[in-house]
Amino acid sequence: MLTFKQLFSGATCGTLLASFAFAQAGDGRIVIKVGRVITQAGADIKNGVIVIENGRITEVGADKQGAWDIEVLEQPDLVAFPGYVEAHTSRGMDRPNENIEVAPFLDVRDSIDPISFYFEDMLRAGQTTLNIQQGNACVIGGQGMVVKPYGITIEQMLVRPNSGLKIGAAPRPGRSRATQAQALRKAFLDLRQHVEKLVKDKKDGKDYARREALFQGRDMEKEENKTGRAMDGKARWKVKDFEIVPRGEVDEKMEPLLRMVEGKIPAFIACDSAAAVRLAIEVMLENGLMETATLVLEGDAWKAADLIAANKIPVILSPNLVYVERDPVTGKEIETFVPGALDKKGVRFALQSMGNSAQGLWMQAATCVAWGLDRQKALDAVTKVPADMLKLGKRVGSLEKGKDGNVLLLSGDPLKVSTTVQFVVLEGNLVYDRSKDTRVRFLRDGVEQPNTAPRASMVERNPAAAVCCEHEGEPDHVHETKLDPGERAEPAVQQPADDGHGHGGHSDQDQQDGKDG
Amino acid sequence: MWIQLGCLALALLGGAPQSEKDPKPETKAPPAEKQESPSKGDAKKDSGTKKKDEKGEKAKEEAKPKEEPPREILPPLEPGPTLFIRAKRVIVRPGVELEGAAVLVRDGRIVGVGAGLEQPKDAQVLDADTVCAGFIDVWSALAIDPGSLNDGGLGPASKSADAFDMWSAEELRRQTLRAGVTTARVQAGATARVGGTGAVVRLAPGLDERLVMLTREGCVAINVGLSANAGGGGGQLQVIDGQLVQVDAGARGMDIFDRLADLDRIGGALEQGRNYLQAQIEYKHELAEWKKKIAEKDAELEKEFKKAKKDREKEEKDAKDKGKTFEEKKYKEDKQPNEPRYDDDGETLGRVWNGELPLFVQVHRHAELRSFFKATELYTRTRFVLVGGSESRSFTKQLSERGMPVLVWPTLRGRGAPDEYDGADLSLAGDLARAGVQVVLGSGGADPAATRDLPLMAQMAMGHGLDADKAFEALTIGAARILDVDRRVGSVERGKDADLLLLDGRPLQGATRVVRVISAGRVVLNPEN
Repeated sequence: MLTFKQLFSGATCGTLLASFAFAQAGDGRIVIKVGRVITQAGADIKNGVIVIENGRITEVGADKQGAWDIEVLEQPDLVAFPGYVEAHTSRGMDRPNENIEVAPFLDVRDSIDPISFYFEDMLRAGQTTLNIQQGNACVIGGQGMVVKPYGITIEQMLVRPNSGLKIGAAPRPGRSRATQAQALRKAFLDLRQHVEKLVKDKKDGKDYARREALFQGRDMEKEENKTGRAMDGKARWKVKDFEIVPRGEVDEKMEPLLRMVEGKIPAFIACDSAAAVRLAIEVMLENGLMETATLVLEGDAWKAADLIAANKIPVILSPNLVYVERDPVTGKEIETFVPGALDKKGVRFALQSMGNSAQGLWMQAATCVAWGLDRQKALDAVTKVPADMLKLGKRVGSLEKGKDGNVLLLSGDPLKVSTTVQFVVLEGNLVYDRSKDTRVRFLRDGVEQPNTAPRASMVERNPAAAVCCEHEGEPDHVHETKLDPGERAEPAVQQPADDGHGHGGHSDQDQQDGKDG
Repeated sequence: MWIQLGCLALALLGGAPQSEKDPKPETKAPPAEKQESPSKGDAKKDSGTKKKDEKGEKAKEEAKPKEEPPREILPPLEPGPTLFIRAKRVIVRPGVELEGAAVLVRDGRIVGVGAGLEQPKDAQVLDADTVCAGFIDVWSALAIDPGSLNDGGLGPASKSADAFDMWSAEELRRQTLRAGVTTARVQAGATARVGGTGAVVRLAPGLDERLVMLTREGCVAINVGLSANAGGGGGQLQVIDGQLVQVDAGARGMDIFDRLADLDRIGGALEQGRNYLQAQIEYKHELAEWKKKIAEKDAELEKEFKKAKKDREKEEKDAKDKGKTFEEKKYKEDKQPNEPRYDDDGETLGRVWNGELPLFVQVHRHAELRSFFKATELYTRTRFVLVGGSESRSFTKQLSERGMPVLVWPTLRGRGAPDEYDGADLSLAGDLARAGVQVVLGSGGADPAATRDLPLMAQMAMGHGLDADKAFEALTIGAARILDVDRRVGSVERGKDADLLLLDGRPLQGATRVVRVISAGRVVLNPEN
């Protein structure tokens, strides 16, 4: 059977950039006029206007001016909403590190693949701030990075480097809970011993130099005693007199870990169970990560909600919002709605997309509402809360004066199934226009893109497409290659109409598959 | 050779800390701190403290508010209730019973036991036929996560406390309470060569974390000649009907040489621990010596500095006059001794070697047992516990002479049991006890559900010759003693933690029911739940 995978592997082949519905990046100035603005900071605004200059929002409110001397995107039928914020994802990378157990020195900058299908997809789904983390199956995974899904180099995409170190409290393959805990503690102990040795060697070296000078009858050269900085942060262990060691002497393989202990790099700790949460909190307390760490929960980790709430730790939830277990006595299935269970305890949480694009952040938030979570909390969990977690609370997550000009123009309410992202404005530049999104058209109409291998199945499903399409005559219309139905090799598949999952545009597409073609 | 090394080590250790029988309160201080102290030098330390004293108490007071109190994982523990338990019979400890007595429990502890005890007004009153200490399973796998239970790659320092998932197996743990087992030593690596450090935990579900762990480091376990680890590394545990079961895995896969190699590992492990300790102590002494020498040299150099300076100026001048380049005198001093590398396994084994942590060695077959006693003869400081001991009947003399307890798993051996259990039968516990060997009982450490059946196993052993008092002792104070938690649990005595069973008859009798269970002073099982 022909799967979506196969469909897309053909579609993406070679024409990835051409298929983007990107408008040309502008100068970061735009006026957006819409029927309704959901600011996520106070009441919604009817017939509102958002003014963006130099990439930043300078005004949100009712349109008093009327006439503008800059580009105006006027869409009275649409709803403006801040771009969704993905607090944690492991997609968009090409061969991320999952092998080296303790790798604080690795940076996801080297793994992010700007032309990954994932980023195009995220733009289409309106997820405009993405925290990419590698090392899900490590002890200390590596440093993450916050990017926007636009740009062909990492520098263009960059929002915030060194967004955090990934830590594994969940056992990595080949380790058990006992040995993972041992390895995790050891990673921090190694750092501590390394720093202690640096200080000791420095002191010993100075003592020796002093004796040597005395012996040789030299006056001691005056030397600066404090060439480095004292150890900072809230770890329970502190190395005294660290200021005598220049920071440059710290092993660069360990240095990011030290910065994390000093509270300068946040931590994202993967917890696959409540027992892992316990370990994570122990490690956090011991190493001063209490205020900088976020837990990434999976499995039955929510069962440690009391521990999490008592320590006021923010969490990122697994895409599976419902935990299912079996009652050992009755054998009945027990379903627990995880965000609800955590919300009851007052835990602050962000939601995470599913591994495929069908269940993006809007879908997760909508699911939460369906399970009875407060709508505002659900919306916050995909905008403001993750923005705060990424220390970007002043830049993204809501439409307010001074924030980044990241605006989605939606066809309706953000949590409605039939809503689609019509336009995406990133830092004041219109970067996505659904009407020009070839891939969406490809799905909806079965229109073949240029320079792709013929897909006869598409023709069969939508014979009209083989002749031409409804967009004929539009200025950017690309005339499709006519196909010979006789070339068809595979049976056709039922393709759902596009208006089902508007946000994703399509489903079940993994980033890796985009490249396999 | 062992004699020599042992003597050397003993001599070196001198007044090294003997095993501390008190249960440790929570985690140990990180080892790096320990290593730091010798390098600082005692002289410096002394002067530092003196200065502080001179500054007086004001300075201390000023310094205090700056230091934040260490945070706990959870907010302060809610105090436990006051309970007044009236009973026809209180079994204080094996053989000591009080008729018509009461037990007063306040905030987790037993504060009074006796006949004339006054009932406080605020107390919740509970009535029972018999009150006794909660049972302890010395060999349990309950709530250990399957991955760790099955992990063949554990080292001595791997902690079962990390593998214990206090949120798991709630129903099973409730059933276990209903059977009267309140406490267990849980151990990962059931079939691994080294099971790592075991933990002693309370089993009641829903208890606060600080009450769950009695000790995070209770013992170190080593297994010898288990056919399940014949494949090398990982043992064969399988989930059957939702339960983890040890499966016979090529029972004859391990020949006598493999088993003896396993045995050699015990000696190797103890040597590793001893060497580690020795290196640490040697380093401490060498460093002190070196420091003393250097301090003397330093003073001398200081004294002769003026002369050295003059000499240098003269030499420099001479060199200049002769048109030669001036060269500094070469300074030489003794090299500072190298600090031994920290090794968590070595450290743990060191604690095992000098008896701080008991060593649980699982040995079953005759030939291995014989070699085991021979190989461990000289480790007089190490506290061995023989685990399993299927064929240990013929070694009662060695066992009682060395005061080595045996941890027996009294179970019916069915078909498909690994061959190391061939010699096991239900009379083993009774036979050993009659021969004067201390016997404790455990539920086998592979099947998490078996802990629930421990009292039943004890009764089976009783039916096959184990004295009732001995069986009761094995499940209570005897087990607590072996696990170094006898100051906290195992009997109904003032000052101990309140881990009690309220029964409707004598313990360990088929018809007796556990009516209520109190764990850490909290009522964790009622007739209602």
